[in-house]
Amino acid sequence: MRARDLAEPFPVVGLDTDAMAAARLMGEQRLPGLIVCDHDGRPYTVLPGSQVLRFIIPNYVQEDLALARVYDESASDELLGKLTTSTVRDVLPGERDIDELPIVDHDATTIEVAAVMARMHSPIVAVTDGETLLGAITVSRLLGHLLPIPGQP
Amino acid sequence: MTTALVVAAFVGAYVLIATERIHRVAAALGGAAAMVLLGVVDAEVAFFSEETGVDWNVIFLLLGMMVIVSVLKQTGVFDYLAIWAAKRAKGKPFPVMVLLVSITAVASALLDNVTTVLLIAPVTLLVCDRLRVPPVPFLLAEVFASNIGGTATLIGDPPNIIIGSRADLSFNDFVVNLGPIVVILMVVFIGMCRVLFRSAFVYDEDRVAAVMALEEREAIRDRGLLVRSLIVLVAVMVGFISHSALHIEPSLVALLGAGALVAVSKLDPPEFLEEVEWPTLVFFVGLFIMVGALVEVGVIADLGEAVTEAVGDQYFLAASVLLWGSALLSGIVDNIPYVATMSPLVQGLVDSGGGSSEADALWWALALGADLGGNATAVGASANVVMIGIAARNGHPISFWHFTKYGLVVAFVTIAIAWPYLYLRYYAFG
Repeated sequence: MRARDLAEPFPVVGLDTDAMAAARLMGEQRLPGLIVCDHDGRPYTVLPGSQVLRFIIPNYVQEDLALARVYDESASDELLGKLTTSTVRDVLPGERDIDELPIVDHDATTIEVAAVMARMHSPIVAVTDGETLLGAITVSRLLGHLLPIPGQP
Repeated sequence: MTTALVVAAFVGAYVLIATERIHRVAAALGGAAAMVLLGVVDAEVAFFSEETGVDWNVIFLLLGMMVIVSVLKQTGVFDYLAIWAAKRAKGKPFPVMVLLVSITAVASALLDNVTTVLLIAPVTLLVCDRLRVPPVPFLLAEVFASNIGGTATLIGDPPNIIIGSRADLSFNDFVVNLGPIVVILMVVFIGMCRVLFRSAFVYDEDRVAAVMALEEREAIRDRGLLVRSLIVLVAVMVGFISHSALHIEPSLVALLGAGALVAVSKLDPPEFLEEVEWPTLVFFVGLFIMVGALVEVGVIADLGEAVTEAVGDQYFLAASVLLWGSALLSGIVDNIPYVATMSPLVQGLVDSGGGSSEADALWWALALGADLGGNATAVGASANVVMIGIAARNGHPISFWHFTKYGLVVAFVTIAIAWPYLYLRYYAFG
């Protein structure tokens, strides 16, 4: 089976999309991440949900996890408020390595897809045919295909 | 010829350390390797000689304290203390800063400066975020307080550990001689903070609630571990205070304390070794071998003789030059290599004084100059570099000049106060 056979339609956001809207999309549709396209509609990168959390949670709390416990519940609203004044571009990590994008050609094998996900710690890979985005493969879709259901051939 | 080559290798390595063109550990090890290749240093000279070898008391005192800090860090006690302080200050920025710098100064006297800064900075950022005040003034005030507070004890600052070991000075000697001036300096420094950082003290009543809502008790991860750790820490401090009477070296007190903490904490090696800065320990080894080579070829003895002759019995003049000169040089190069190099020279001067208090006071001039001078620039002390790194990672970059603008003022004022203290205590009424 090839990547094009596993690819499913997937929500796409742009670099200038409101970060709160992107986060809401992930939350409402229970998506592990989103595909980010550039102004020409070409896949630019993948925004994993963990990157959104990395953006929201202050670095000093990530380094000293005990501090996470001292916040009260209302503090989460304040932390999330950071998204309202940001775009997807702000949420993405600073440097983009062109050789390290979680994108595969439509002809890629399932092992190639798995290797790209593993190498880039990405829960999604975008599937392209030339510059056209065909869809995306999530890690759950891939594992569902790789691990046959017991009792079925 | 060999002497000239040894001096050249030493100066070369020193320049590399000072300019940071290569990592300081590589520079120190390269310098040590050069001494071995020049045939000046062998295993006996490097590892077993008290005069020229690695000062294992310094290495193991540092190692022991680093393990103690690794365990203490797991308890969350610093996060608790800082949030408690912010709430006690009712969220008013200046009182918050006063309490945070006071905690930092006391902690720095009992622990290594770098570690103190690593422990206090994250929770400071959190408190400042909650108060919506700029965190940079708070971080700067803390690192200055750390360098001042660390001056008070044998274990507070690595230069003091080197001086204590070389001069055979006890924990109590440091507390008795440097403690009073450090208390005075801290009072003055807190007053300076009010002026230096006045623009940061913006009081917002609405933000106070955000601080008061923080749950400091939640920061304590393991109450039992905290109690056990504090008991061992108190025992270690008692051990330091009484080490002369007990005839146990401070390094052994620290190692025994570290061992006891490891036993009672039941932590795994990666956890209790987390704060051990192996590069720093190796850096020290390289430095000791480099300086030992200078001693071995007689350069230090010759320099010492020349300096002793020049000083004569003008010990206050020598103390003044040492204080201001050390402050100046410590602002330019890291104070650890500086003190490692100066200690054998000062030793010669003190020995020539025949144990008089005027001559002994040169050690205090060196400690005060090197420790307080570390505040002058961003690279003056390791704690400064660490604090600037933490600030940058959290989106608050502090430029070299921004740091130095405040650091120079703090270093100058504290040294200017330490100067008459030396005179009055050891020369006018000594």
